[in-house]
Amino acid sequence: MNEFTSGFFMGDKETNGRVLVVDDEADIRKVVRMTLQKAGYDVLEAENGEKAIETINAGENRLLLDVVICDIRMPKINGVEAIAYFRSNYPRVPVIVLTGFPDTEMATSMLRQGVVDYLVKPVEGEKLREAVSRAMEQRELAHL
Amino acid sequence: MALVHDTMGRTSQLASPPPEVNAVQHLTDRVVVSKIAPTKVAILGAGRGGSALLDLLHQIPSIEIVGITDRDLRAPGIQRAKDLGIPVVAQAEELVSHDGINLIMDVTGDPSMERFVHANKRPEAEVLSGPASRVLWELAQHEAKLQAELFHAEKLAGIGSFATGIAHDINNPLQLIMGLAENLADEKDLDTIHEQAREIIGAVRRTSAICRDLTQYARRKSDSGETMVYLNGRLDEALKIARYAVSFHDITVLKEYQQGAVAKGNADELLHAFVNLITNAVHAMDHGGGMLTLATAISDGGVTVQITDTGCGIPKEMLGQIYEPFFTTKEPGKGTGLGLYNVKTIVTKMHGKIAVKSRVDHGTTFTITFPPVPEAPS
Repeated sequence: MNEFTSGFFMGDKETNGRVLVVDDEADIRKVVRMTLQKAGYDVLEAENGEKAIETINAGENRLLLDVVICDIRMPKINGVEAIAYFRSNYPRVPVIVLTGFPDTEMATSMLRQGVVDYLVKPVEGEKLREAVSRAMEQRELAHL
Repeated sequence: MALVHDTMGRTSQLASPPPEVNAVQHLTDRVVVSKIAPTKVAILGAGRGGSALLDLLHQIPSIEIVGITDRDLRAPGIQRAKDLGIPVVAQAEELVSHDGINLIMDVTGDPSMERFVHANKRPEAEVLSGPASRVLWELAQHEAKLQAELFHAEKLAGIGSFATGIAHDINNPLQLIMGLAENLADEKDLDTIHEQAREIIGAVRRTSAICRDLTQYARRKSDSGETMVYLNGRLDEALKIARYAVSFHDITVLKEYQQGAVAKGNADELLHAFVNLITNAVHAMDHGGGMLTLATAISDGGVTVQITDTGCGIPKEMLGQIYEPFFTTKEPGKGTGLGLYNVKTIVTKMHGKIAVKSRVDHGTTFTITFPPVPEAPS
């Protein structure tokens, strides 16, 4: 469990930021974690929208979560509902959609809601890291 | 068309029904049809014409085929008649002089048959032969072709709704493959390399299974061959296909199968019917999820398949219309309105019956009953 390790508090372990990956497929969470950990990000996982909302509201995550990567098609609370929650309760946390379904209408609607990127699987590791890095910059700008 | 009966039980057509009969019939068309004595038909000739007539006429409740005959007992219609449980009569004379026959359909194409029929038939029996009967069986054959086209068109229209499910099920393993392959490019630990290579193989297998399932489902079957259909296996297969069409998130699937549930019919068509019923059931639970129960049971009266959902239910006033072609409650472009119509046609072709029980906000159960298969393995 490395859910509560962060560069800000754990002086011996610097991270580039904390990213929450929301996807119902464990395989996807695993490879996204692998991809992002290589770039020095601290990665949290949630298997659906409900768990994602629980995670973002848990302890220091309220303050320290930097980016959310979220799937759309999920059980319980789906991606659309979860993203609406993040946007209204944590407007400073940028959200990236990572979905299996290339849907222009959905992409437009998500971008209108303030999602910073709409990525369609399979996405290359480099592209994903770039998207997260861009999102981090936005997050920092929002802090200023 | 109005049919009347005399005291002998014979049926004839009225050119124009009395107005009061017409009004009643208009309201209770189905009831009237099921109450009248069936028109008894004999078919002479079991070639292409006889087969086409068998296929069409046996589906019509107001028609009873009393028998079929042909000089050649290897003619295709003879086997078809046996499959359908229609009597095969060896002697044309016996069939033609059969008591109570209303109509003799001669599709032998043999000009001498016409004289033979007229010499042997009972006076009240009407005869259809020559070019008229040829036109009729060609129409029957055409109708069968149209029905097959309609099935296929509706199936393909349904496959359109699979796009989301297919994209999800292909792109997720592709993402896994991409991530693992990128990692392998600079992974040093041999055990990890082996493990991740195996994971990639598994993901490729899962992806190719999707294409296999769907191409099998989408293919057009020209041959309407009847076989023993294992209902439990068909339901499992249908569940797999339906997962592409609809999201099963928040839906619990319960299977209550009885071993050895079989029926006689076309396995591909029945799969199509089950996919339709399962996707409908899941659509009914779109809001808030629920439970889908698939059950099979064997009894003396036959084999039943039940598909039950705990969804929105069907309002009472719509229950009478659900099997009508082009009836749909979905918004334009979402449903063809042919799903349940085709389900009913498929079930009827297999000599089965379909019944529905529904309560708004509680759920719906479709029950299909097939006649028992005598040689069913226990």
